[in-house]
Amino acid sequence: MMTLILRRLLALPVILIVVYTITLTLAWAVPGSPIENPEKRPKPEVIEQMKKQYNLDSFPRFYFSYLDSATGFEYLRDKLSGELARERQAAIDEGLPAPHRPVFDFGPSLKYDDKTVNEIIADSLPVSVTLGATAILIALVIGTISGVIGAVKPNSIADLSTLSVAMVGISLPSFVTGTVLLLVFSIWLGWFPVAQWGTLRSIALPAFALSLPFAAYIARLTRMGMIESLGADYIRTARAKGNPERVVLIKHALKNAFLPVLSYLGPATAFAMTGSFVIERVFTVPGMGEHFVSAVQNNDYFLIIGVVLVFSTMLIVFNLVVDILYRWIDPRIA
Amino acid sequence: MYRLLVPIVLLLALIGVSVLSDKPSPRADLVFINSSDVNTLDPQRMSWMHDLRTARLIYEGLVRNDVLSHGFDIEPAVAESWEISDDAVTYTFHLREDARWSNGEPVTAEDFRYSWRRAMLPDLVSDYAAMFMNIKGAQAFYDWRVEQLEAFGEREFASASERQSASYELWEQTKAQFDETVAMRAPDPHTLIIELEKPIPYFMELCAFAVFMPVYEPLVSQYERPDPESGRLIRRPGWTRGGVLISNGPFQLTRWRMKRDMRLEKNPHYWDRDNIAIDSIDIPSVNDPNAGVLAYQTGAVDWIADVTAPYRGEMVAQKLEYLAEHAEQVEQLKAQGLDQFAIDRQLPPDPRAHTHAVSSFGTYFYNFNCKPYLPDGQPNPFADARVRRAFAMCIDKRAVADQVRRLGEPTARTLIPPGSIGGYTSPEGLPNIGDAKDNAEREEIIARSRRLLEEAGYPQDFVVTLSFNKDAGHDLIAQTIAKSWQKHLGIQTRLDQKEIKIFRDELKDKQYMTARAGWFGDYGDPTTFLDINYSTDGNNDRAYNNPAYDALLDRASVELDPEKRMQLLSEAERILVEEDVPLVPIFHYATIYMFDPHRITGLSTHPRTKQNAFLIDVLGDGKGPEQPRPMHAGADADQENES
Repeated sequence: MMTLILRRLLALPVILIVVYTITLTLAWAVPGSPIENPEKRPKPEVIEQMKKQYNLDSFPRFYFSYLDSATGFEYLRDKLSGELARERQAAIDEGLPAPHRPVFDFGPSLKYDDKTVNEIIADSLPVSVTLGATAILIALVIGTISGVIGAVKPNSIADLSTLSVAMVGISLPSFVTGTVLLLVFSIWLGWFPVAQWGTLRSIALPAFALSLPFAAYIARLTRMGMIESLGADYIRTARAKGNPERVVLIKHALKNAFLPVLSYLGPATAFAMTGSFVIERVFTVPGMGEHFVSAVQNNDYFLIIGVVLVFSTMLIVFNLVVDILYRWIDPRIA
Repeated sequence: MYRLLVPIVLLLALIGVSVLSDKPSPRADLVFINSSDVNTLDPQRMSWMHDLRTARLIYEGLVRNDVLSHGFDIEPAVAESWEISDDAVTYTFHLREDARWSNGEPVTAEDFRYSWRRAMLPDLVSDYAAMFMNIKGAQAFYDWRVEQLEAFGEREFASASERQSASYELWEQTKAQFDETVAMRAPDPHTLIIELEKPIPYFMELCAFAVFMPVYEPLVSQYERPDPESGRLIRRPGWTRGGVLISNGPFQLTRWRMKRDMRLEKNPHYWDRDNIAIDSIDIPSVNDPNAGVLAYQTGAVDWIADVTAPYRGEMVAQKLEYLAEHAEQVEQLKAQGLDQFAIDRQLPPDPRAHTHAVSSFGTYFYNFNCKPYLPDGQPNPFADARVRRAFAMCIDKRAVADQVRRLGEPTARTLIPPGSIGGYTSPEGLPNIGDAKDNAEREEIIARSRRLLEEAGYPQDFVVTLSFNKDAGHDLIAQTIAKSWQKHLGIQTRLDQKEIKIFRDELKDKQYMTARAGWFGDYGDPTTFLDINYSTDGNNDRAYNNPAYDALLDRASVELDPEKRMQLLSEAERILVEEDVPLVPIFHYATIYMFDPHRITGLSTHPRTKQNAFLIDVLGDGKGPEQPRPMHAGADADQENES
């Protein structure tokens, strides 16, 4: 177990550097310039100046200067040279709060002049995590229960109806389900607020909308796994021992049937937490998904790389968590 | 079995932690949706309308516009009074003693010197640096700095530390150079003397512009330091964060979360705090136009500063219906000289009355490429002004405004929205088939256009390409225009829809025949519109070059008599829209607001579309004077009536 964790954690920086290289190369290849102001075009000398300031005129210079600040080397250098202490002292002398310098500096946003990528992610990531985690929680509960119901009586009305609801959940795009939910529950019934974020009530609707495709997929995985394990010999044994049906279903069958769901849960959680762009738009949720799309539209290199790196890290970490859980739930795997 | 519950427990823990770390705050006195997310709160680097609107809430310049006066008068702000020398180049501002930063420190003349110096530095790439070049010595200072930076880039250094100390040394020299060359003096903390290169009749307007508002040096200077590599001043973000930013306006920033919300609280040290009728403002970030309207309808929002929902045309139509129902009363109120919001306030409450189409300081137009040859090497028919005039007259502007846009926008014959600039008389402009009184007049305009085409030697054997970018309904407008040209001039047309970035590049490179365009004025002077047609201007996308036009602008720029100057500019615009027609104005923009006229007061209906949201009073909230704040005549009323 420890070697697994250690190996994955050691691989993390290597993977991130590869991801960074690919992302930057692709972003750089996209036509358009990040410093163009759509309505009032800046003068050529202004563009020249900005290109120099952000190293946009040279791919290698940008590549290495970003690596320097994002990996914390720049911070370390400023710390050792005493530059950080000097800045802090200067602020204190003026009676002002000391400037905030993050260790891992992901650079400024090219579109939003005043914000660093660190700040943008710090503002939006908790929102996305709340939304994504709630959605996966809902998906897990709904999906598992309907999957079990379906598997107990295959091809029954209950099974067919959960299956068709699951199909609808997978096939309908979330801007349709989201808009319908918003219309019915917020506008007509007035149960949930519109375009507000922060309270549990405001989280419920977008989280539910986001959970639907995940719930549908989990239901199908559970159903398949359950049908398979309900036909296995050890279930017959469990029943023969006189166990009540409830115990047989949950303790014996579900435990095995749940494993594919568990392995799906890792990437699903990462996706739900970062890739909910459409749901965020429809429900005006101030999450990170928005930045994935708008950063690319704006050619905001720093922000593109920042969100991609965060997403990659989450994907790797959640997969690791799932792997650990896996071994713990089913010791055979280790 | 219990192990199966572990994922659920983990998820619950995650949710718990993130929800607890993020407590909602109580609703502010005023909640409004800005037209877009704020890009920057650094006034010297601003250029967007929504940034400028926010800047006016948290900063305050030397003077400000009284946006509720008909003349958009200049009124005192940080400067209590001022004198202008007889030759109109020296301005002496007397700063009020009680002007304070939000930390209680006094606002001084040095603060303005520091802030304006920032804008004059090439390092900070201010979009509006050119406006500061009116100040004596500013251009020389800018050029000197550019030269020094170039020299620094070429210098060889023995070590990194030597390079670093040289960059700091250059910065010290730059500050000294500014003190020496730029004619901005502060003989005492409350006196600021500014000398201009030449008389600028609209200099006070510039002083009211947000880019000229001061920033707090002790804070901002910490986030700027010379870069040892290039010697340039590098700007680090961070000082505009909520709780960190120190500003001198009616409000201070307490929170700013990207793409989420901005929270402003009344600045307890603001000199005019007793006249601010609200204590807090929330500016949520709502990017979906539909969600904004829904949020308004559920009462979460008090004012939407720019409704862009696709059905806003219907909203405006409903408002017009509502006004028609009360037509008699509306006419009476109009006759009393009431502004449109004050009229709404007198009428019975109705949800339809919450939509407001407010005229804007901007114009939608079509560019003609004026180059002799087209990109494909063919001779360009639009190089001939007669052809341009013929095409301009045959656009059914009425159809564009009433059937495509449907926002109650006025059709345009001039580039500058008439009545938006005090003391300026707009030219007549070319007649247009859309505005013809009857069919006979219409036929006459068409016949006149056809004659012009014949004179120019252009029979109907060329194809006109209309270029536009694919969003915001430009396609429908292009179709309407193409239809007009085909029908009335018998000319073949081709619609050329482009991705915005490509469209913009082609415009810049003059790789088009006719192309849609729009322009919004920055300050209250005709030059804010007319300059874009100066032959060498960076925004002259039309390749328009008429020495007579340039000469008029040049003469106006040195004319000391304001009246004569306005006449020169009016003549320049006349040449532009009646004779040369490098562009056809189609309509003047309207902005759609949403607010309850019985509840919200203090918004301006002036065509300059500049709102000072700190003037807003929420009626019925028990704060402020609880009196409607309508438009008023203002100090320059007499002059205004003459024009």
